[in-house]
Amino acid sequence: MPSQQELDLQISPLVQESLAHNSRTLHNLQSLTASLFGISAGILGLESYSGFLFYLVFSLLTTALFYLLRIAPTALSSPASPTSKAGVLGRYFRSPLDFWTAGVTNGLAGFILTWTLFYGLVRA
Amino acid sequence: MTLISKSITAFGSLLLAHACYSAQEHSALQSFRAATSAVLTSTPTAATSLPIDIAIETVVAILVILVGLVLGTSPLRPIQWREWAGKIEREGEDGFKDNNGQVNRDYLGNPFGFIEGRPNFVDIRKQRKEFAEWVKGQGEQQK
Repeated sequence: MPSQQELDLQISPLVQESLAHNSRTLHNLQSLTASLFGISAGILGLESYSGFLFYLVFSLLTTALFYLLRIAPTALSSPASPTSKAGVLGRYFRSPLDFWTAGVTNGLAGFILTWTLFYGLVRA
Repeated sequence: MTLISKSITAFGSLLLAHACYSAQEHSALQSFRAATSAVLTSTPTAATSLPIDIAIETVVAILVILVGLVLGTSPLRPIQWREWAGKIEREGEDGFKDNNGQVNRDYLGNPFGFIEGRPNFVDIRKQRKEFAEWVKGQGEQQK
């Protein structure tokens, strides 16, 4: 007896290429912006916790902006079918939790790299 | 769309570069001042923090770049098979273009193309009629 999740996948299958394309788009955006946040954190001369807090706030802001400018407008042009309970986010990403939190870990290395570099360059 | 996002990003980068240069100049000036004042009068210099205008410029620059980059991302695609296939049926290649107007490389076309292209699906009578008309047209042109 297959589980409920397997049944759901059988009834409404997913397109792997679209999944990969969507998450790649988001990943590219996040790693690019993370290094830019590092630059500005270095310019501002942030240290220790305040720098990481800056990164956390701005990476969540990136995801929120992406949601507002890229995902929310599509709900207006073609409303989600009433049968899908995941809403407009579920049309493009599998799990909402992943969508909101993956960005923080995606760009952390790039952020620290440019943060230390620009801190050193500006304060030298 | 792509021109707007590129110009916004370029403007933001310009602001960021200016803020970076200002901060660098500020810290250079501070260390120069500290060195000279230490030589002349050994008064302790005040703790130097970044001027508020440079900080504001940096934050504004990063927000502007952020908007530009988000606007420049390529459009998302539906992950549900039925929505995706419906989008292909309705929009064809137009729904699968990136920002430069190029059709994406991984766009394979209609997933049911192999069914619709079967030999059983070919309307042979219609094709014969079209061929007959074409032959007639050729004959009239040659006369």
